[in-house]
Amino acid sequence: MTSPIIATGLARYFGSKDEPIKAVDGVDLEVKEGEIFGFLGPNGAGKSTTVRMLTTLLRPSAGQAFVAGYDIVKDADKVRRSIGVALQDAAIDPLMTGNELLELQAVLYGIPANQMKKRADELLERVGLTAAADRRVGTYSGGMRRRLDLALSLIHQPTVLFLDEPTTGLDPMSRLTLWEEVKRLNSEGTTVLLTTQYLEEADQLADRIAIIDHGKIVCEGTPRDLKAQVGAPTLLITVATHLSDTATQVLKEFGDMRPTAEGTLGVGLNAGVEAVTDVVRRLDEAGIRVQHLELNEPSLDDVFAEATGYRLEGAKQ
Amino acid sequence: MTATLSVQSTAAMNHNWRIGFRQTVAMSKRSVLALWRQPALVVPSMIFPLFFAALGTSSFGRAINLPGFPKVDSFLDFSLAGTIVQGVLFGSVQSGSALATDIENGFFYRLMAAPSSRLGILVGRLAGAAAYGAFQTLFFSLLLLPFGMSIKGGPLGVLIMVVSGGLIAIAISGFMAAAALKTGSSEAVQGIFPLVFIMLFFSSAFFPRQTMSGAYKHIADFNPISHLIEGMRDICIDGLSSGAIARAILVPIAIMIVSFTLALRALAQRIAAQ
Repeated sequence: MTSPIIATGLARYFGSKDEPIKAVDGVDLEVKEGEIFGFLGPNGAGKSTTVRMLTTLLRPSAGQAFVAGYDIVKDADKVRRSIGVALQDAAIDPLMTGNELLELQAVLYGIPANQMKKRADELLERVGLTAAADRRVGTYSGGMRRRLDLALSLIHQPTVLFLDEPTTGLDPMSRLTLWEEVKRLNSEGTTVLLTTQYLEEADQLADRIAIIDHGKIVCEGTPRDLKAQVGAPTLLITVATHLSDTATQVLKEFGDMRPTAEGTLGVGLNAGVEAVTDVVRRLDEAGIRVQHLELNEPSLDDVFAEATGYRLEGAKQ
Repeated sequence: MTATLSVQSTAAMNHNWRIGFRQTVAMSKRSVLALWRQPALVVPSMIFPLFFAALGTSSFGRAINLPGFPKVDSFLDFSLAGTIVQGVLFGSVQSGSALATDIENGFFYRLMAAPSSRLGILVGRLAGAAAYGAFQTLFFSLLLLPFGMSIKGGPLGVLIMVVSGGLIAIAISGFMAAAALKTGSSEAVQGIFPLVFIMLFFSSAFFPRQTMSGAYKHIADFNPISHLIEGMRDICIDGLSSGAIARAILVPIAIMIVSFTLALRALAQRIAAQ
């Protein structure tokens, strides 16, 4: 069976032909049926541009992609009929009520008039917005808007769902609610591609993830496999600033240095957790007093740092 | 076999046409709803034209005796068409601005992500503007009646004026939609407003062209707004005639063809630019 999302060498360039800005630079992607695929990367990495191409909102400059079995350029209309899209930058009209927006969406997707009301009621109940259905969206909280956005994207019962940073800016409670709904949809058979800049979100939700940086996919796999590839745990230490170069020399004896937040040094311990005592002893012998010490098992943040050379802004350091 | 295919393809076309029509109606309903729910946007397009009508009638009431001035019972009879077109111009700027806001805040992309008719996005917006223009025409006509205004064309004349008002709204909103689609900026569309206002003053909105002279008259002669106003004015002050009806309907249609073509081109360019 063909995978619902396949992209080969997908690229999008902006600006002049002589010096194009390569927002997406040759992305190869395959999302299998029934998967939640996490597309992880910082702002400006090319996540949203890739999603906009896959959802037919942006024409690729190069490459090819098939979504739900249809070519995103040649069969754009068929792709649109098959997918649900909740884009971060596609606003919801604040003057309309939840009910009105769902009915408008139903009309846009050609749902017969006699099924519209039933479908809208089902979706409002599903996302917990029945009580707010007749309120203008302008009065909704951020979390309610995202849930309504999700409901709108499901109006035509799509088999493939694209969620572009679905929880950005939401409070932890709203984020959890949305995660639950995404998991529920996926358990019902919907294939989901979600972009996120939250490592925890990708870790919690995605069966497989791809990390994109500067328009290129830098690594791809299941969260477990990717973490295993990073291997050694990371020891983070803080020392007085003037001793940081000497400390780095000492730490290099135990493994490769890893990118960390400024003011902190990180080393991948080749000998595992047992090496911590030796590290502290060696630093002590070198006259370096450790101000703070933290041991981290490999996380997606480490995977990200290993693949890109820096850590995601706002991620756990 | 050929006959079966032909029947199927006709049925499919009818089906697509029905869906496209539903989408257009839904989009126009949305644009009217937006006006209804934002009185602050509606009020200027209703109040300012009435203010100018009141000001003109009280200040220039005796101007109706000037040589060359059309034969009218009151200045208000003469003012009505100008008042209506003025209101429609205000409303059309709002319509274009709303489309630009849809582009700015991303609602336009929500529409583009759906398998909806691209034409429906534009036609729906223009149909909403037409409904508002027709409403404004009826509103101004009925509101000014108790103040001594008379419409020589009678109820049928009012009906034709309402149709004309709707067509004028489409004609002007078409230009605004083209600007909105081209720039994607509501500020740019709002920026056209002073130009529209200047064009209104250099037209026959406030005085008949027969009383003008020099460059001002030449500008008014060529100003399409003069011709949009005068068809409706003929119905109001002279009554129904085939010439007046043709002018009230055909002039807006001619301008509508130009503006709609520009808007379609801008829509195609915006879609292609993606």
